[in-house]
Amino acid sequence: MNHIDCKYYLATDVFKGICKRTKAKIKADEPACSDFEKAPKCKHCLHFSMKENNLGLCLEKATAYPDMQAVTCNDFAWK
Amino acid sequence: MESKKIECDTYNYYGSKPEGEIQTREIHKSPSARVEKSRQLYFETKSSASVEFPYWYTRKWEELEGEIPIVRRAEALKAGFEHLTPAIFPGELLVLGKSHYLRGSYPMPWLSEAFFMAHEDRLYKDALEAGKVSADEVTTMGQGGGNVTKSIGNVLSIAGKFGLRKEEMPILLDVAKKWHNKSVDDVGHKYEQLVPGYHEKEEIMRAVICMFDSGYTLPQGREVMNYYYPLQYGIEGIKNICDEKLKQAAGYPGMDRIYFYKSVYTMLEGLQSWIKNHAEEAKLMASLEEDENDKSEYLEIAERLEWLAINPPRTFHDALQLVWIFHVAVLNEDAISGLSPGRLGQVLYPFWKRDMDKGILSRERSLELLECMRMKFTELDCFASMGVVGGVLSGNTFNNLCLGGLTKDGESAANELEMLILESAMTCDTPQPTLSLLYDEKLPEEFLLKGIECTKIGTGYPAWINNRVAMEFLLNNFKNEGMTLEEVRAWSIGGCLETSAGSWMPLDLDGVTHYIPGGSAPATSVGVHFISLPKVLEAVLFDGLDKRTGRRVYPAHGYNLESYEEVWKAFQEYFSLTVEVLTLTNNIQHDVWGKISPSIINSMLKPDCLETGKDISNKGSRYNRTFNVEICGGVNLVNSLASLKKNVFEEKNFSLATLKQALEENFGYISALETGSYSLTEQKQTQNFQTWLKTHKQCLDAPKFGNDNKYVDNIFKEWQEWFSGMCENYRSLYDEPLYSCQISVSTHGPMGAVTLATPDGRLGGTTFADGSVSAYPGTDQNGPYALFSSATCYNHASSQNSQLNMKIHPSVIKGREGARKFLEMIRAYLRKGGFHVQFNIVDSRMLKDAQQNPDKYRGLMVRVAGFTQYWVELGKQIQDEVIARTEYAEI
Repeated sequence: MNHIDCKYYLATDVFKGICKRTKAKIKADEPACSDFEKAPKCKHCLHFSMKENNLGLCLEKATAYPDMQAVTCNDFAWK
Repeated sequence: MESKKIECDTYNYYGSKPEGEIQTREIHKSPSARVEKSRQLYFETKSSASVEFPYWYTRKWEELEGEIPIVRRAEALKAGFEHLTPAIFPGELLVLGKSHYLRGSYPMPWLSEAFFMAHEDRLYKDALEAGKVSADEVTTMGQGGGNVTKSIGNVLSIAGKFGLRKEEMPILLDVAKKWHNKSVDDVGHKYEQLVPGYHEKEEIMRAVICMFDSGYTLPQGREVMNYYYPLQYGIEGIKNICDEKLKQAAGYPGMDRIYFYKSVYTMLEGLQSWIKNHAEEAKLMASLEEDENDKSEYLEIAERLEWLAINPPRTFHDALQLVWIFHVAVLNEDAISGLSPGRLGQVLYPFWKRDMDKGILSRERSLELLECMRMKFTELDCFASMGVVGGVLSGNTFNNLCLGGLTKDGESAANELEMLILESAMTCDTPQPTLSLLYDEKLPEEFLLKGIECTKIGTGYPAWINNRVAMEFLLNNFKNEGMTLEEVRAWSIGGCLETSAGSWMPLDLDGVTHYIPGGSAPATSVGVHFISLPKVLEAVLFDGLDKRTGRRVYPAHGYNLESYEEVWKAFQEYFSLTVEVLTLTNNIQHDVWGKISPSIINSMLKPDCLETGKDISNKGSRYNRTFNVEICGGVNLVNSLASLKKNVFEEKNFSLATLKQALEENFGYISALETGSYSLTEQKQTQNFQTWLKTHKQCLDAPKFGNDNKYVDNIFKEWQEWFSGMCENYRSLYDEPLYSCQISVSTHGPMGAVTLATPDGRLGGTTFADGSVSAYPGTDQNGPYALFSSATCYNHASSQNSQLNMKIHPSVIKGREGARKFLEMIRAYLRKGGFHVQFNIVDSRMLKDAQQNPDKYRGLMVRVAGFTQYWVELGKQIQDEVIARTEYAEI
């Protein structure tokens, strides 16, 4: 997993961000450290089913995408 | 082909040419350590787009098919706000942004979706065919700073500016396609074709005679925020007002009111979730924090947000945070440029003064908060097409903060907080918010000298604006809607230079009523966006053809052009046709915007929407005559008319046929589009150069605007008076007459790029003169006071604005004596009736060095039009033009 998938990743832009714990500046697409914790995203959600072209379905009705952040989603449930 | 460099200095000077080392600016200040860290973080950050908001907006919109449109939109916006991922960056004292990125923004496909399609997509090709993306094709974006100019790794570049994560592209396309034939752009396009003359409109757009449509690009903005309701009532208080109004309106005639109040209520619920989500994020950040001070700051942020999600502000810090929340909230409901905070120092003064009197706020803390505010405004980006973001806005968002002016009862409105705002603009010299000083003879000298100190720092602000001229314009413009002398004093600048109506709002604080100013009119600079005057003249000379594309734009005019009067008449006819067809088509676009994508938050804020239950698109604002006609290249038009008149018709130095051939052959020079240099200097000759040498010299030697020369100034005056008068012949969507607006923003770059050489000697593809009364670079040779005389040869109050840019070498205004001399020069112009003047205080050689070594100049800023921007984020067209501007080495 990369930094961008971590719960403690604070994105400053599309390339990089800051670790909320260490305050270190980190790159989105570089491997995460050993303290990695999964960020809530659609791809980790019980209600998300992957389809094709990097798209999927949320609650079997709405198109969604696996990397969407779900920290504010009331329907999110860990797989 | 043998090419030779034009024998001409790279720089244009009035006075002695500066010698020796490049001179830096006289004054340098620094922000607090906290803000300096934020600024460095900003410098490292790229403009980033996300799909989160449009995804949730579209998902909710689709769920609610059949719902009342304004309620459906409110629910969609609410879904967008409540799902935004919260982010709080280290050291921030003011929080919340457009998205979770520091320089974040997002596309709004409900306005226009074709732009987001891949270039090979059919939808994009349809847009191309309709002439909608012509401006995009001729625009250059800045290649440095925060622009993502190329796709790299997992990041895609959009419009040469915004980065988008690759994994978000499929969902963006999916969302965008859901708006096909449903967006404001598409629906508007369907109905605007009903306008007779629509064919000409498409050709006008394709020829880039007009820069862009109005209704679906930036439908709001160029206006002044009104923060009164949240400051007075808080969010829950406004919801209670909506509740009461709903009960009074339900079932009674005028039913649209209940849908409006329901929508406002819904929207506010969305904002409350958005704010509370950030409070939770602040608590999370606090839980991870080991430093006790930082932990405590995060907890304070959380507490403040939880309070403000419900209540009115308790302190200056609260008030500033709430103002920022509503500013971003409005920006997130539409693609907006030029949403100005207005006279914010006067709006917040009662809160600031109370805290200072209580001893709970210091000047140092005030300054730090104001610096934090500057960073938040600077982080704003506006997501729109390349032609709009690059060609018009130069990546800027035009949040104009105004200072000075008069109080409700006609006294100086300058205050101590405004002195601190000026100071913060020096210590934290970032592009946003830009500042405008509303000059009035009643303002104290100390305040004016503080303004001069800030101008001298070289950031281009404050712009100096004539309070009385603006008041005269507004009184005349809004007299039929009841504007009074007392009310007109509440005006402010919306956007870069758009004079906007305001009102005095009765803020009650501890039982004392403070009348605070706030905007009370909707978007200005909607209607007809930027007509290229030299391009219209080109069509006149070539009987309606666009020489770049070879396409017919206008019907043949039928004149033989045997006299100057015939040229002028043909110009008036083509220009009038342009205004007519663009007014009618843009009226339809805005009508469609009001039906599909009405403003809810901004409507709620603007008096008297909340009182009457009408949104902005239903004339809920107190003042509604805000549609205008914008132009570009006026000085090149007038210089060209003077050259035609003198060379062709009076002195008969050459025939019109010869001139046309010279223009087509670019006076024997290679096109600027080939050389990649867009100013008159540094152009390269072709072998054909000698053929046109004499003709070109005669064109260059014809009288030029900016020298107090009555020959050309009278032509300028005739044009101005005709232009302002003719605008009143056309009526806006709100059945009000249009008025004239004279700002170039950055359009003089791309519009110059598509225009042949002009009869004034300007070469093909090079940039037009900036502003509206700035001389063409290098042609103002009689000093600043001659320029002022030319610029004030007509009544500036007949138009929404005028714009004068000057470049001054730092040594000229050095020290106290230099500052005094500088102020007297500005006064002299404003006393002559000039509306606006602003300055680049810079050694031109530094700009050239910065162009060649951008990495050394990340923080260098220049004034372009009504805005300041980082040099490295400007396109080359505009960089070249700013370098070429006449540098005054004497005043």
